[in-house]
Amino acid sequence: MVVQSRGLRDRYCIVGVGETEYSRASGRTTRAMAVEAIRKAILDAGLKAADVDGMLDYQGGDSTLANSVASDLGIRFNFYMDVMGGGSSTEALVGLAMGAIEAGMCNTVAIYRSMNGYSEFRIGGTGARAAQPVRGLDLAQVPYGMRSAGQNFAPTFMRHMYEYGTTSAQVAHVRVTHSKHASQNPKALLKQRVTVQDVLASRWIVKPLHLLDCCLETDNATCVIVTSAERARNLRHRPVYIMGVAGRVSKPRLDFHWAHGPISRVAGYYAKDIIFPQAGIGPEDVHVTGSYDAFTFTTMLQLEEYGFCKKGEGGAYVSSGIIELGGKRPNNTSGSHLCEGYTHGMSMVIENVRQLRGTVDDYCPRAAEGVHTYDYSPGRCRQVKDAEITMNLGWAMPATGSALIMRR
Amino acid sequence: MPQPVQYRGMALIVPDNDSEWKEFYEHARAHRLVVRKCKACGLMRYPPTHACPWCMELGWTWHEVSGSGTIYSYEIVAHAIQPGFKEMTPYAVVLVELDEQRGQPTPDEALRVIANLVKPDFTPEAEANVAIGRRVRVVFQDLADHMALPQFGLTDEPPVGRVWRLPE
Repeated sequence: MVVQSRGLRDRYCIVGVGETEYSRASGRTTRAMAVEAIRKAILDAGLKAADVDGMLDYQGGDSTLANSVASDLGIRFNFYMDVMGGGSSTEALVGLAMGAIEAGMCNTVAIYRSMNGYSEFRIGGTGARAAQPVRGLDLAQVPYGMRSAGQNFAPTFMRHMYEYGTTSAQVAHVRVTHSKHASQNPKALLKQRVTVQDVLASRWIVKPLHLLDCCLETDNATCVIVTSAERARNLRHRPVYIMGVAGRVSKPRLDFHWAHGPISRVAGYYAKDIIFPQAGIGPEDVHVTGSYDAFTFTTMLQLEEYGFCKKGEGGAYVSSGIIELGGKRPNNTSGSHLCEGYTHGMSMVIENVRQLRGTVDDYCPRAAEGVHTYDYSPGRCRQVKDAEITMNLGWAMPATGSALIMRR
Repeated sequence: MPQPVQYRGMALIVPDNDSEWKEFYEHARAHRLVVRKCKACGLMRYPPTHACPWCMELGWTWHEVSGSGTIYSYEIVAHAIQPGFKEMTPYAVVLVELDEQRGQPTPDEALRVIANLVKPDFTPEAEANVAIGRRVRVVFQDLADHMALPQFGLTDEPPVGRVWRLPE
């Protein structure tokens, strides 16, 4: 089914971004963290609490709802909604925020995610989640010891290796690259650069995934603020325009996506036909990508499916240097989920907003003014020179994904 | 039915009003692997659903399948998340493509089932024996008087297509 573009390109902007510290022991509630991240985003935008009249958030029973965090900040709603969801919700909620504003329901929407993803409800499933009773659709997998994200996704990567000859060493380059980027990021939890050999020598979690193929469970809250382009032009930063958005696009048979192959195909296969026509560009026009690196190989699958390389050539693409800072199309310049900290997709959108503003918060002394050295050696710069168009590739699982294209 | 059924520290809950799974597990306890077959178009689907995903027909019947199939993909869990699986590591989770309805109604579709690859005593099959392309057959692990888990074991049949396992 063809989705008709509604002509909203460049009509909405992300005007504020904010996050808490990334840690493994926040020592406070998701409410406290959400308030901090939203407040930072409001101030970043140059707005007041009274200017924010919409709110969207997502969670999986592990966070605080909008009603309390908004009250903490003195925000009165014209629109709000709490959404059940994980990865790929970020881009989807940006689209829903545009829709709410377009419908005349509100003017400006703050989108947040707050979680104690390591110290309280571990995103990887260890602890409370593993102990939950098994019923309904979960009976098709969970009684077989298939519960965590890694366990749920690994057969997809295994089949890709079988079909295309993709290797562990190739996708290890995603970790290597993101660790390089994290070494330029003062916020990153893991700033140490790693090698392909480090990845391959790390212990197995669920074959074909090593420990270093997996992302990093983290405590944090994050926020982005969406408003109309007219309002954005009078705010603090240069506007970052939304060219296109696709939200929670799915493969057939979402109840059990294994039934509908090829299983090495992921949801971006469908999302690309929505987002590129909206934006009026193709993958070759994108300067910076933000993949959902829950795992190394998920980055590869997304880049393939959106056409940054041919299907089956993702292993070669991610190991070619193209995705590194200084390469043709850097990916996840903050170090993102694998190295910076796991945010359920928010931080890659925040990073791309900062890239487009030219004010990435690296180690350059005058980064906030947009003055960068473009020296990509450790502990230096991570600003991409003249980044004009970015694309985020959201992922919930192989069968569900989202995407967002922005420009400066 | 007595609830819940305990298995490896998990509470498996299949209440009397579970209109997807209750009869599936009763058939499994009688050592029959069943799937739902559409009364209109005749296509089968798994897991149990309430309408035909191809023609939206509501009518269906349980249909017993042979339980023979081929490993389509797999994983080897080295680090168990669920406490009851820690003593089982490393264990294989296999995606089995059943012989019935392969490549129908479109070439990439098939009846596929997730389970563990086990030896006759239901302990995990040795990792060296787990590979895409190997032939398997359903076995039933009885958990209670009214419930059994379908699992899969290797057979001596020649493999289908290329046999492949993750390089060491």
